[in-house]
Amino acid sequence: MWRTNVKVGLVGLVVIGFYTTIAHIIPQLESEVPSSLDLSGATPEALVSAGDQLFHGAGGCTACHGLGTRAPNLLTDHAGEGPIGSRCGTRESGVDCKSYLYESLTDPHKVLVSGFEPIMPDISRQLDNDQLWALVAYLESNGGTVDVTGADIQRTATASAAPAGGAPAGPVAGGSTDPQQLLNANACLGCHMLGGSGGAVGPSFDGIGGRLSADQIREAILDPGATTAKGFEAMAGVMPTTFGSQLTAAQLEAIVGFLSRQR
Amino acid sequence: MMTEVLSLLQQAADTSRAYGHFPGIGGRGAVWIAAEVHLMFAAFVLGVPMFAVITELIGIVAKDSKYDKLSKEFTRLLVFAYSATALWGGLLLFFLTTLYPKFWQHMATVFSMSMWIYAGLFFVESFTLYLYYYGWDRWKVGRAKWGHWGLGILLNVWGTTVMLIANGWLTYMMSPPEGVTAEVLPGQVHLWAAIANATWIPINIHRLIANAVFGGAIVAAYAAYRFLSATTEEEKAHYDWMGYVGTFIAISTFIVLPFAGYWLGREIYEYNQQMGITMMGGFMSWLWIVQAILIGVLFLAANYYLWLGMGRIPGAERFRPYTKWMLLVLVVAWIVWGTPHTMIASRAEFAAMGGSHHPFLSVLGVMSAKNTAVNFMILTTFLSFLMYRRANRRPVVPWAKGGTIVQGVMFVLAAGVVLFYGVYGYFVEAIVRIGFSVYQVGAVLACILGVTVLDIAMLRGSESRGEIQWGKMPDRSQYALFVLAVTFTWLMGLMGFARSGIRQHWHIWEVMRDTSSQAATPALGYAANMISVCVIIFLVLVAFIFWLGGLAERTAANPQAAGGH
Repeated sequence: MWRTNVKVGLVGLVVIGFYTTIAHIIPQLESEVPSSLDLSGATPEALVSAGDQLFHGAGGCTACHGLGTRAPNLLTDHAGEGPIGSRCGTRESGVDCKSYLYESLTDPHKVLVSGFEPIMPDISRQLDNDQLWALVAYLESNGGTVDVTGADIQRTATASAAPAGGAPAGPVAGGSTDPQQLLNANACLGCHMLGGSGGAVGPSFDGIGGRLSADQIREAILDPGATTAKGFEAMAGVMPTTFGSQLTAAQLEAIVGFLSRQR
Repeated sequence: MMTEVLSLLQQAADTSRAYGHFPGIGGRGAVWIAAEVHLMFAAFVLGVPMFAVITELIGIVAKDSKYDKLSKEFTRLLVFAYSATALWGGLLLFFLTTLYPKFWQHMATVFSMSMWIYAGLFFVESFTLYLYYYGWDRWKVGRAKWGHWGLGILLNVWGTTVMLIANGWLTYMMSPPEGVTAEVLPGQVHLWAAIANATWIPINIHRLIANAVFGGAIVAAYAAYRFLSATTEEEKAHYDWMGYVGTFIAISTFIVLPFAGYWLGREIYEYNQQMGITMMGGFMSWLWIVQAILIGVLFLAANYYLWLGMGRIPGAERFRPYTKWMLLVLVVAWIVWGTPHTMIASRAEFAAMGGSHHPFLSVLGVMSAKNTAVNFMILTTFLSFLMYRRANRRPVVPWAKGGTIVQGVMFVLAAGVVLFYGVYGYFVEAIVRIGFSVYQVGAVLACILGVTVLDIAMLRGSESRGEIQWGKMPDRSQYALFVLAVTFTWLMGLMGFARSGIRQHWHIWEVMRDTSSQAATPALGYAANMISVCVIIFLVLVAFIFWLGGLAERTAANPQAAGGH
C-alpha cells in the first residue's frame, strides 16, 4: 500500500517538476508597469528618450505598430510617405504634427489610416499626460522635428484634469483631479505647508519635488508609516493611512504629479 | 481646521490601507494561492455533479445498479470536497479584505446584492447536496428515485448559478462595461451591466466545459488509486470501469474546449485589442508553448491509456499494428505544436542562424503549422476512441463494409482539408490565414460527428467478440490517469494565470490601477512556481479526501472492524 502511495506521489512530483522546468527554460518576460513621469520642464532629448522607452516597453505599441499588418509602421516607411515624423503633419488638414499625434493617442478613431481597422484603444486610459507627450516627442523624432514643449504638457494636463462631461463625483473632492482642490478637501494643508500657509505637523510641500521622487511621494501618501521624514520622528503615525482607499487612481496621480513639481 | 484633521485621524484609526502586508510571499502570493486552490475545488464540486446525475439517469433507465453505485461514489467525494471549497473560499475572502481593502471596497460596492445571493445559494446548495447523498438509499426505487434524481438536477442548477455569479465578478475585473472609468464611483455602476460584461458568457461556457473535463480527470485518478490498492478482482473490475468512464468524459469534453477557448480569445480581442495582443503576441506569447507541451502530454497519456485498455478487449488485436503509426503522428504533431516561432539561443547561435528565426524550424512555429498539428492530434485521438469502441463488436448490418469505407473516406477527407489549408496558409495574407482555422476545425468536427452517427447505426444489434475483461489492466495504465489529472490541474493553473495576467497592472482594467509594490505581472518562471505550489496543495488535499472516502466506505461495510473490537 505504502509503495503505491510513494509511486503515485513520485509520478505527480515528476510531472509537476517537468512543467515547472519547461516554464523556467523559456524566456522570462515580465510585464512592465509604466512609471510615472514629470516632463513639464524636460528637454526634448529627455522627452524622446522617455518616449522611446514607453514605445518599446510598457506602452505596448510595438505589438501592432511595426508588424505592418494590424497597424501602420511608425518607425519605418508606410505607403511611401516615410516614417511617422515626416508624415504626421500632413495627415489632417490644419492640424500640426504634434497635435495630430496627441489626438491619435487620445482619440484614435477620429482619423483612420486607410486600409486599417479601428482597433487602437484610447491610450490616455493607460498612460498619463506626461507619458503621452513623451510618446509624441519620440514619434516626431522619427523623421521629423521635436517641437513638444512644457506648455503643451501643462495645457493638456489642465484640460484632462477637469471632470469630463460632468463626470460623476469621486469619493473625495467630488471626483475632481485638481490637485489644489484635492489638497484642500483632504485637509492636507492642516499639517503640511504650501506657499507659506498651512500647518507644521508634517514636512513642508514647498520644494518636496526636489527632496523626494514621485514614487517616494506616492508611497508616503499610500503608506505613510513606511518612512518618516527627518525631524518629524515625533509625529510618526499621525498621518492618516486612508488615502489609498479614499482617492481614485487619477486623484492620487494628480496629487503625486503636483507635488513632484514643487521644487 | 484642527477638527477636520482630528476627524481624518479618527477615520484613519477606523479604516485600513490600500494594501495589507503578508509575510514571505506578499499579498499577491497569498491571494493567488487561496484563489487558485479554491477554484480547483470549485471546479471539482461543479464538474462531478454533472456526471453524477448523468450516470444515475443511465442507471435508472438501463436498470443497472452498477451506474447507481458509481454515481453514489462520485457524490460521496463531493461531500468532503464541498467543505474544502468553502474553506478556501473563506480564506480568499479574508485575504482580499485584509490585503486588498481598497479593491475589495470597490467590488463589494458594485456587487453587494449578488454577493448576498451567492451566500444564500451556497446554503441551498449545501443542503441539496446533503439531501442528495444521505437520501440515496432511502429514495432508491420507483417515483422516489426520480425525485432523488431531481435533487441531483437541482444541485447542478444551484452550483452553476453560483459559478455564473462568481464569473460576473472576475470578468468585470477583465472587461468592465464601457462607461465605467476611474472617475466613476462604484456605487454608480449598474449591477447587471457589471455582471453581463463582454467576457462573461464566453467564460461561463468555457468554465462549464472545463469543469466537466476536470471532474472527469479527478474521478479517473480516484478510480486509478482505488484500482492500485484494490484487493479483490471485483474491486479491480469496478475501479477499472470507473477510471474508463471518468477518462472518457474528460477527453470527449476536452476535445470541445479549444473551440470555447477560441471564442473567449476572440471576445477579448473584440473588447480590447491591446489586451488580446498582450495575451497572444505580447509578454505572454511564450505561455502558449508551455500550454502546447501540456496538451501534448494529455493527448499522449489519453491515447496510451486507450491502447493499453484495448489489451483487455477481445478482438482488439486487429488494431494493434496501427497504434505505432498513430503514436508517430501524435509525437510529430506535438513537436510541431511546441515549436516556438523565435528561438532561445546564444549570441553566437543567433549569428549563425542569421537572426532569431531559425531558417527551418521557424516555418513550424507559425499558426498554419500549429493549427494543422492540433487538428491531427484530435483526429488521431478520435480514431483511438473509435477503435476502442469497435474492438469487441462485429457489425451485422449488410452495409457494414461500405459503412466502414465511408468512415475511412471521412477521415481521409478531414485530414486532407486540414493539411491543404495548413499548407495554403503559407501563401496568403495573415488576415486570410486566420479564417482557414475555421475550415480546419469544421472539417474535424464534421468528421467526428459523421463517423459517430454512422458507427452508432452500424453497430446496432452487433455481435460480441467477447466481453471486456474489466480489471485486467496493467498498473502502468493507471499511472497514465494520474498524469492526466496532474496535467489538467496544472493546465488550469496556467490558463488562470493567462486570464488574470492579461490585466497586467490593473486590478480592474483601466478603472483601478494596481499601485502596490507587486503590480508588475511576473514572468512564467515565477508563475510556474506558484502554479506548482497550488497544484501540490490541491492534490495533497484531494488525496486526503480520497483516503477519507475509502475510510468511510470501509467503516460502513464493516463497523465492528472499524471500531477495533
